[in-house]
Amino acid sequence: MPEWLIKILLAVYTRIPPSLRPVLKEWFAKIVLRVEALVKRRQIVQGKRIEFLDFEIAHLVPFELLGPGPDEILVQAECSLISPGTERAVLCGLPGARRGFPYVPGYSTAGRVIKKGNAVKWVEIGDLVTGRIKHASYESVAANKVFKVPAGVTAEEACFIELGIIVLQGIRKAAIKPGEHVAVVGQGLIGQLANRLARLLMPASLIAVAPSRNRERLALLPGGADRYLSINEDPACVHALEADVVIEAVGTPQANVTAMHCARKGGRVVLLGSSRGLTRDWDVWNVSQKKHLTVIGAHISDMPEVDASPLRWTYEQEGRLFLELLHEGRLKVADLITWRAKPEECNAVYEVLAEGGRDHVGITFNWVCKER
Amino acid sequence: MEPLRIGIVGAGAIAQRNAKEAAASGAAKIAGVFDLNHKVARDMAKALSAPFFPSYDALLASSDVEAVLLSVPHYLHKPMTIEAASSGKHVLVEKPMANTLDEAREMIACCEQNHVQLTVNYSFRYLPKIQKARQLVQEGALGDITGIQIIAHQFKDRGYWSGARSNSPDDWRASKEKCGGGFLIMNVCHVIDYLYFVTGVKGARVYSEYATLGSPAEVEDIISVTARLSNGGIGSISASSIMRGADQAEERIWGTKGTLILDPDGLSFYSTRPIDGKRPGKMCRYTKFPNVSWTAEWVKGFVRAVREGTKPDISSQEGWDNLAFISAAYQSMEKGEPVEVAPFPASTSCGA
Repeated sequence: MPEWLIKILLAVYTRIPPSLRPVLKEWFAKIVLRVEALVKRRQIVQGKRIEFLDFEIAHLVPFELLGPGPDEILVQAECSLISPGTERAVLCGLPGARRGFPYVPGYSTAGRVIKKGNAVKWVEIGDLVTGRIKHASYESVAANKVFKVPAGVTAEEACFIELGIIVLQGIRKAAIKPGEHVAVVGQGLIGQLANRLARLLMPASLIAVAPSRNRERLALLPGGADRYLSINEDPACVHALEADVVIEAVGTPQANVTAMHCARKGGRVVLLGSSRGLTRDWDVWNVSQKKHLTVIGAHISDMPEVDASPLRWTYEQEGRLFLELLHEGRLKVADLITWRAKPEECNAVYEVLAEGGRDHVGITFNWVCKER
Repeated sequence: MEPLRIGIVGAGAIAQRNAKEAAASGAAKIAGVFDLNHKVARDMAKALSAPFFPSYDALLASSDVEAVLLSVPHYLHKPMTIEAASSGKHVLVEKPMANTLDEAREMIACCEQNHVQLTVNYSFRYLPKIQKARQLVQEGALGDITGIQIIAHQFKDRGYWSGARSNSPDDWRASKEKCGGGFLIMNVCHVIDYLYFVTGVKGARVYSEYATLGSPAEVEDIISVTARLSNGGIGSISASSIMRGADQAEERIWGTKGTLILDPDGLSFYSTRPIDGKRPGKMCRYTKFPNVSWTAEWVKGFVRAVREGTKPDISSQEGWDNLAFISAAYQSMEKGEPVEVAPFPASTSCGA
């Protein structure tokens, strides 16, 4: 849209009473979408998606989107996974995650291709794909940005893709060697996935560390941790761990410090959780410097687009590996789902999440699944 | 259901209204009218096609009267209730239940001993607006209640205090002994009751300041109350009958998930949850409600309880809880300290 037109529209908009603005905005968006559909000769698809309307308010709302362009596919969602840390942070306006509302959450969804653009060759209608797709019934996405799900892997498993990639890149940077002692601090979804992926690298022991015992049962399932420590029960337990490698999977400054306490002298601490907040409680000398710790930043935003190295694979490589592990049965994730919600239940789901979601690990929205 | 034969006691403006609505409810038949002012009582009896009784004793002696509806000054609630109950008559009494908790205790005990039902006219609960508010709260619109605020301000002219609008002028409203208090016990009691009803939360501890600053009366015309609620929340009341030219009547209830506002024109609520088919995160307003006679609903509910032998919707406990809060507010000011709200007594004794 030309700048002069934007200026005129803004000048008009500021003269409209605030109470009328949301309705007008909605109509304006509808008109723009229709013009775009006409110009690009694309259909308008009606869908529903989850929106954060304000702090701690989620709602399923109808929306419209353009059908797929030449390089795109239209995906009908089957299952989407909540990324609890990030989505809770946005929902509650936590440090580092302030966003405007309404906000459309979600970035880990599996669904069927129901339409494709002319230039799309490698997927067919009916294929199950997964990738960075929001919590929405339909989404048009670039075909080369999603992964084709191997046969035998369900939508419920495949929707773990983004969180799987997040954890894989961290585990890779940890460079765990067989026989090392590993601790995973935080037993939310990221922590539980970290248990399972670290386990594949044959550590001598794998200790799950968390404040409470709420998630102990899941953490100790086959393929997970060997032991579970509750910091609430014994705050000093972390000092005796002496782990070679510690995966920090919470993202708070307090958890960062706890992770450093868990490490042995000369150990490695991988900061996997998206860190939010500040602290004055980090005794740098005693907690990290004196112990010669190696602290490794491992955030998904730092993945290379190309030029992969043994310690830094691309997003695509990690995604393929994750699906391969599911396909080969070497990694299980479905048992980490503690709440299979209908999209209509999103308000209650995010209410629980906003309050900490301590009884839950994996929460999925089933978009087309029948009643269970 | 067989209509309850009710004797109307008192023939003032409220009594006239109560009697008319009771008769129109279909659940009651007016079996007699009594007032010290025989002329107005006769006129009222004639208008209702009901017999006139020259004395309260005569009305209570009538086998055709099953219950009495007392719309009389507050200080008469106790003696007239006890007399009626002792005669085996059920009692519908105007609000407040009594002037003191000791009086209320005697009334309850006497009704229990004589196996008659007692209800207090907190019929605003039946207003569709109030019913809707309760429904929204019960559906979780507000989450856990954290705060309640009552703002009630109006202006009562000098004539009010001397009964200028009454057909039997009397200054009992200005007397602490006869009325029990001022604006709080006379008017705000209704609001306290329906907020108890809407929220299920009651006052537990009360701090209060009150005064008489602009009225020819012994009783308070301005009061401010802060209360700790039974669920740990905080409530406040700002009320007066001396605010000129700017009436205010608004109640706000808020909780962990939303806010509800009651005002004379309707109700508004905001919730983080999708309640009543409304989009969350948006202030929703209700202004259209069915035209319901709240008094008739109150009478119907009471008749049902009498006929079925169940507890009335607005039982003696509701009457007690309301009076206990108000009494605590008055005591707090008088003692200069916070006062715990007296719980409903586990057992009572008849001191008639």
